[in-house]
Amino acid sequence: MRKHRYALGATFASLAIVLLAACQGNTGSSGSQSGGATSNLKIGLVTDVGTLDDHNFNQYSWEGAKAGAQAVGAAAPHSVVTTQSADYAKNINSFVSKNYNIIVTVGFALGSDTTKAAKANPNIKFIGVDQGICVDANGNPDSTFACKGDAATLLPNYQGLVFKEQQPGYLAGVVAASISKSGHIAAIGGTATVPAVPNYMIGYLNGAKSVKSDIKVELKYVSAAPDAKAFNDPAGGKAAADQLLSQNPDIDVLFQVAGKTGNGVLQSACDHNIHAIGVDVDQWVSTPDTKACTVVSAEKKLTKAVSDAIQRVNDKKDKGGTITLDITTDSVGLSPFHDSQSMITPDIQAKIDAAVKGLKDGTIKACVETPFGSCDNKNGQPPA
Amino acid sequence: MNLRRARDAAIIPALSIVLALVFGSLIMIFSSPLILGLDLTLPLLAYKALVEGAFGSFGAVVSTIVNASPLILAGLAVGVAFKAGLFNIGAQGQFLTGGLAAAAVGVWLAHAPGPVAIPLALVAAILVGSVYGAIPGFLKAYTGAHEVVTTIMLNYIALYIVAYVVTGPLRAVGATFARTPDVGNATLPILVGANGHLGILFAFVAVPLAWWLLYRSTIGFEIRTVGAGPDAARYAGMHPRLLIVVTMAFCGGLAGLAGSGEILGLTGFMPAGYSTNVGFDGITVALLGQAHPIGIMFAGLLLGAMRAGAPLMQIEAGVPSQMVDVLQGAILFFLTAEVLVRYLFRIRAKSAKVAELQTVASSYGGQATPAP
Repeated sequence: MRKHRYALGATFASLAIVLLAACQGNTGSSGSQSGGATSNLKIGLVTDVGTLDDHNFNQYSWEGAKAGAQAVGAAAPHSVVTTQSADYAKNINSFVSKNYNIIVTVGFALGSDTTKAAKANPNIKFIGVDQGICVDANGNPDSTFACKGDAATLLPNYQGLVFKEQQPGYLAGVVAASISKSGHIAAIGGTATVPAVPNYMIGYLNGAKSVKSDIKVELKYVSAAPDAKAFNDPAGGKAAADQLLSQNPDIDVLFQVAGKTGNGVLQSACDHNIHAIGVDVDQWVSTPDTKACTVVSAEKKLTKAVSDAIQRVNDKKDKGGTITLDITTDSVGLSPFHDSQSMITPDIQAKIDAAVKGLKDGTIKACVETPFGSCDNKNGQPPA
Repeated sequence: MNLRRARDAAIIPALSIVLALVFGSLIMIFSSPLILGLDLTLPLLAYKALVEGAFGSFGAVVSTIVNASPLILAGLAVGVAFKAGLFNIGAQGQFLTGGLAAAAVGVWLAHAPGPVAIPLALVAAILVGSVYGAIPGFLKAYTGAHEVVTTIMLNYIALYIVAYVVTGPLRAVGATFARTPDVGNATLPILVGANGHLGILFAFVAVPLAWWLLYRSTIGFEIRTVGAGPDAARYAGMHPRLLIVVTMAFCGGLAGLAGSGEILGLTGFMPAGYSTNVGFDGITVALLGQAHPIGIMFAGLLLGAMRAGAPLMQIEAGVPSQMVDVLQGAILFFLTAEVLVRYLFRIRAKSAKVAELQTVASSYGGQATPAP
């Protein structure tokens, strides 16, 4: 019996220490509000699997949520970082249970759970980053993917933000073909099964051909599935790029479309002393290790997109449905050239400007599009 | 007598949890923003939110049970194998293949009546999980390949089978990313709250079932005898090899059932990037529950509560939900560092050790294969 008294006593002692420690702390850590608060919107964000500082979708969407909150004068937003895909619905519902007004969900994989949450909670505004909304006539996720339901009227509280990746991809292709001396360039994508990836790559191919019709463009995918190998394996990306470059030593521009896997692709380009082009975010800023060879990045302006969407809600100008953000609102485009500005001669800049103008006024198409705005890619493979 | 035994068995797990919470507090305090000084109130705030998220409302309690059910099943899949002296690291793979089988049959029977589609999808998940569990059992029994090695490898194979099937033959036409079509009528009915699906019953049926099997049936006695000493079991006329295969198949079936509950009850389809740690968390559950079905139930509920409360902890206290993984890791550490815990709390060692766990530990050194 004696030993149990000891154990019990020790347990309570250790608990007391925790409580004591907890009680004497300073208290000044509650979220500080920006001046001139005019909105009491509570804004929450659910990330995709990963971290909040991933230098990618999660991080820049989060920056957008913070910028949006500040712009409308709301309290600083809160986040839930998803650690496994099985938790999406649970994480969204945590914000619902705490009566949040705006819930931002990041990544196409959360689309289905966001749709269900938007239907169940018509008074909460949802913003889905990289989510095309596909619903049936009742506003449920459409199991046939015919997308017959009109999301804008069925789910007016859900803005699905998608980007025309083919447009920044096209511009990246224009840059790549213009700075290539050998006439042989390449792109390495994560997987053809996520439409954003072939969109970028087909746009890149077409952009390059528009500058030099006889240019050789290698398009490679590192994985057959949207798995860790496709998007979260820098070592694998580096190996794939090393192999491509050893087989084709004359390639002198390399475009990565593979998330963190692609950061290894950038590393390989730097090791081989060739030019690299980043993706999704300004990688000269986000991955400083490889900024020496990163000429430019094909960007989705995530921060602006999320911030704008929050402001639309605050101004009561938000409409539901899939919102395709493209170059006409400067929601996609090229990042600044930073250190590589000197490579961009007036002649090259003129080509880029012409391409931007053409894409904006519709005289240039970055690719042949499906009704859903993706590049036509029926076989899962871009045209050779 | 029984109560006393239960208390003896529960003391180390309980103290491990306490120590893990203290350890977690320290991590939170020292990782809080240094500009504001060390925030000593943070752990209190975080644990309060964790408890609120797990038990603060009816919906929260349902969420805890929904999170706990697959953990309990996976915990049993590891714990029952412990009793036979087997370390089943493969619950993750058995979970994934079971979930995939449920998705495949569910998609196939999406328009069939629910009373037909649901049982068939569940049976498919149990069968495929069993086969996937029986493979390392067979390899162990008849070739001596250690189940720790084979199950780890089979986990990866399961991952790639799922990726292949979902991006290939089972891929939904028209979906913007690789996933199966919906399971339609094979979706498990919601019994309670917003997401308390039928699958939560399986866990609470499996617990007494596993207890009866282990402690009240002949085969359970044989399983435990094999766990305590394969050679003695053979001498007593039992068939250790066959028992190893059967035990692993049973455990695989439990893990497969857990997978089916997640797919048919929660997501409604299987995405190619489906990620979960339920199978691995099952190891923690089994160890925390001291490989006893009742203990596993409580351990599963505890970890389920932590999973359910994690998002709110992040919202309210700003402590990342990964803290739950830290706590879980710390619990596992203190459980396995039993000597340390006994020293810290001045508890004398029990005279009777959990024999099966010792068999598991000693089998790393070879002599793992029962003689023919």
